[in-house]
Amino acid sequence: MNRLNQLPTLRINPSEKLSLSYRGKSYQGVAGDTVATALYANGVRVFARSLKYHRPRGLYSLDGECSNTCMDVNSIPNIRTENTLLKDGMVVKEQNVMGSADRDWLSFIDKLDWMMPAGFYYKTMHKPASMWPVAMKQIRKAAGLGVISADYQMKGQYDELFLKAEVTVIGGGAAGMTAALAAAESGQRVVLLESRPHLGGCFDYRVSATGDGTPLYERARELAEKVEQTGNIRVFKHTSMVGAYNNNLITGFQVGNADDVFTERYIEIRSNSVVVATGCIERPLIFDHNERPGVMQAGCAHRMARTYGLLPGSEAVFSVGHDLGLEAAVDLFDLGLKINCVADIREDGQNAELMLALAERKIPVLKGWVASKAHGSKKVEKVTLSTVEGTVKRDFPCDLLVASAGLTPVTGPFILAQAKMGYDSHTGYFLPTELPAKMFPAGRITGINNPGSIEASGRLAGLKAAAAAGADMGKTVADAEKAASTLPGPERGCKLVTAPVKGRKSFICFDEDTTIKNIKQAIDMGFDVPELIKRFTSAGTGPGQGGIPGHNLPLFVAKYTASINTPVPTTVRPPLVPTFLATYAGYNHHMFKHTPLNDSQKADGGIFRNIGVWQRARYFSDDFECKEEILNVRNNVGMLDGSTLGKFRIHGPDALKAFQRVYVSDMSKVKEGRIKYSAMCNDDGCVMDDGVVVKLGENDYYFTTSSGRAGQTVEWIRYHTRFDGWDFHLVNLTDAMGVINLSGPNARKVLAKVVDIDLSNEAFPFSGYKEFFIKDTIFVRAMRLGFVGEISYELHVPSSCTQAVWDMLKEAGAEFGIRNFGVEAQNVLRMEKCHIILGQESEQRTNLLDVGLGFLWDRKKADAKTVGAVALRQAEKDVGRLKLVGISMEDDTRAAREGALIVDNKVRGYVATMRKSFTTGEAVGMALVESQLADKGTRLEIFEDECNGVRLYARVVPMPFYDPTGERMKN
Amino acid sequence: MALTLTCPVCGKRNGYEFRYGGEDKGPRPAEAGLTPRAWCDYVHMNKCTAGVQKEWWFHRDGCGSWFTTWRDTTNNLEVEQPEASK
Repeated sequence: MNRLNQLPTLRINPSEKLSLSYRGKSYQGVAGDTVATALYANGVRVFARSLKYHRPRGLYSLDGECSNTCMDVNSIPNIRTENTLLKDGMVVKEQNVMGSADRDWLSFIDKLDWMMPAGFYYKTMHKPASMWPVAMKQIRKAAGLGVISADYQMKGQYDELFLKAEVTVIGGGAAGMTAALAAAESGQRVVLLESRPHLGGCFDYRVSATGDGTPLYERARELAEKVEQTGNIRVFKHTSMVGAYNNNLITGFQVGNADDVFTERYIEIRSNSVVVATGCIERPLIFDHNERPGVMQAGCAHRMARTYGLLPGSEAVFSVGHDLGLEAAVDLFDLGLKINCVADIREDGQNAELMLALAERKIPVLKGWVASKAHGSKKVEKVTLSTVEGTVKRDFPCDLLVASAGLTPVTGPFILAQAKMGYDSHTGYFLPTELPAKMFPAGRITGINNPGSIEASGRLAGLKAAAAAGADMGKTVADAEKAASTLPGPERGCKLVTAPVKGRKSFICFDEDTTIKNIKQAIDMGFDVPELIKRFTSAGTGPGQGGIPGHNLPLFVAKYTASINTPVPTTVRPPLVPTFLATYAGYNHHMFKHTPLNDSQKADGGIFRNIGVWQRARYFSDDFECKEEILNVRNNVGMLDGSTLGKFRIHGPDALKAFQRVYVSDMSKVKEGRIKYSAMCNDDGCVMDDGVVVKLGENDYYFTTSSGRAGQTVEWIRYHTRFDGWDFHLVNLTDAMGVINLSGPNARKVLAKVVDIDLSNEAFPFSGYKEFFIKDTIFVRAMRLGFVGEISYELHVPSSCTQAVWDMLKEAGAEFGIRNFGVEAQNVLRMEKCHIILGQESEQRTNLLDVGLGFLWDRKKADAKTVGAVALRQAEKDVGRLKLVGISMEDDTRAAREGALIVDNKVRGYVATMRKSFTTGEAVGMALVESQLADKGTRLEIFEDECNGVRLYARVVPMPFYDPTGERMKN
Repeated sequence: MALTLTCPVCGKRNGYEFRYGGEDKGPRPAEAGLTPRAWCDYVHMNKCTAGVQKEWWFHRDGCGSWFTTWRDTTNNLEVEQPEASK
């Protein structure tokens, strides 16, 4: 198809060719084409088949208002090809067809429409009930949109952008651009969103002249240049607004160009005030076969020629209800389209200049006439025009029928901002009866069409928005108001809803194949509110989001029910246009923290796992049971990177008071040089955290929390002291300090080679705390702990020096065969000692007493109002609680899985941790069970997922399983 | 997500930065003579006001302070302290 390559309005670059594949054949489009216009240029007229009846569908609106051009693009179904820019190498397929869009074997269903009245799906297919699954399967096979492959992987880069602006302008047409320019005069930050890939809106493709004789498209380009050159206006093209929320938070997404780093990006703008300059779409004309390929809206036909250089047909008939349709007829005639007739629904009120232009071109015009039927099976071949009353009919041959009943303002942003919408009898539009706070309409959305008025209203709205956002605009707003008031105001809109037809094949919603007849059926069944009729007939629930039936449905319902009330519009919800979930999900950040020892752990063969916010070395060999790592700690010496531990300092006059509030123990008894193990509960007595505390001085403590709690600790302590006005400082040192855990019978010997303090059991006993320097430079806080059950030193070292100390210890330990152990080995080692990990041996409802830590709780500090104390006092009397017990499997080779249930005829508890113990040779672990089952020797029945009825058995045994007297860790 | 809150230290910020800390129920009651029911009510019972209420927020991704503010729960907008409560 030859392009009109020389038009000044073109938005394509005819010299830059792009290829696409469709039905296995290669086609050519040009840069700037949408997928649909490229296919149209290659002679494709039937783009898709409809949801229910498999009717052929073609290009209709060019703005994605219906599913007519929904296709499968690069294996993504339901892509609205008419507003998807063509990229080189795209693979396009038709969807919901058996055969091809052109020859669909399922097109016979169109003749069976009598079997499918409104709501048939709900009413017929469920009797008998056994037939329903069969019927549903068949219906789903034949009906619907595209299908996505189950293993499809979304490609591309999905970004996100969070902006702050004083004024956001939605719509980059003439009104939006003037509004942005006016608001920007105040110096405020302005964001302008335009859904098409270029600015210009309804001026962009029109050659008719403004007041001073400049063609509209030139005016649009002038404005666009000014906007682009204004530093405080940020322009987002190809960006659809999808949501509006409280505080004028506007969301949308931008589609990336070929040279952008993102495929699409989600945009969220926190805006002070908003200008809505979204303009109008066309209100579809309803007549028989009103969606045959070849029927299209006036703006679509006009833009096909002016923007894409494609004359949409050779011989046309126009059936329109507004001056833009007449303007399109004149312009398209001048571009070479033969026009057999222009039918204008309006008896009078047409623009005189346009009528004169039509007369000069000898185009026959019928006033008060309308298209009543399109003929032809896959393409329009002929059209029947009739008077609006249907009394006289005439046929005209054509391959293009431009049909449009009127205009519809795009009021989505107002509806999302919860504006109440009302029917305006002058324009026939649904407009907000009261504007939401700091939201201002501009341009054609208010009913005006005069180019001067559009710009004036844009300027006024922009100034008002800037003023609402806090700018001092002085007299300018009043001046702009005055200027706008002298220009032509809203025009009377065409009110015709349907041509004089019965409506069996007159479609009010293309996406869902809903006809006028269906709507009548629904009303006859008793539905009277458009919102309910919409749901019952599904009109307006398709991918077009109500773009086609949104205006017509309430008008038709009001007319058919002869309602004396004004029509009530249906509502819309975000997202206003179909949006990829990938766009909402955004970039996959893979955010986690590395410990200071990360690199050496990796070099030593660590196998990493994401644990909480951290990446940690969980294993150091392919043996995920970690036999060697475990036995090396038990018999020799091992090193663990414990840097993820939460580390804090609290100091200040009221530090002890804060400690007494959150820790269950009496913290006044903490002695310098000793470590104190304690726990924090919540107000229900449920245990939240455990760790050790060392006293550095009066009201000055260093303390640790479990890795997972480090992030909440400051918040927690401050929350529970928020009413007290206490004076203390809390410093999170988690990332500032690295932790090396040196454990095993040879740990003392290794450490002795690195430090020059007395490490004898008398000088540095179990539960002792020491501060010293290594090589007189590296400051170390050392604690003697026994989490894994052996002699163990926990060295807290500034992060920048942690690696150095690690390397020294590694070198010192070489003669003993020191080796790393990971988080899994530590887990088994501590389990053998029955040292609990909160979150593993506890869940949200587990209290301090349940896990056997009741000894930590000091009851004699009521004045401290300790968090959890009141609840613990109550829980002590409660016999129905779970208890933590040690269990040993009857079959030593088979450890039960974590989370496996302990059952008899009901659930009685669950396994918290269980592993095969290499030290004892048994499969042992800990479980939370009901207190009746907690006695030693009790046989427990264990149910695992997928156990196929085979139960496992264990017995309650004393804790701990290893070194019960603790000699090994204490000597 | 459209919520904004005014932190006494950092000023008006995006609601994403804060953690909700519940309705303002006053200081912890003294333990002496406290019945389990009274305690449970203090910890768990909420007024669930449909309208303006005083509540606690934590500036998690900011200065780390707890503060109270007034919010209209019916439209999720922060509001000035009502005259009646002053």
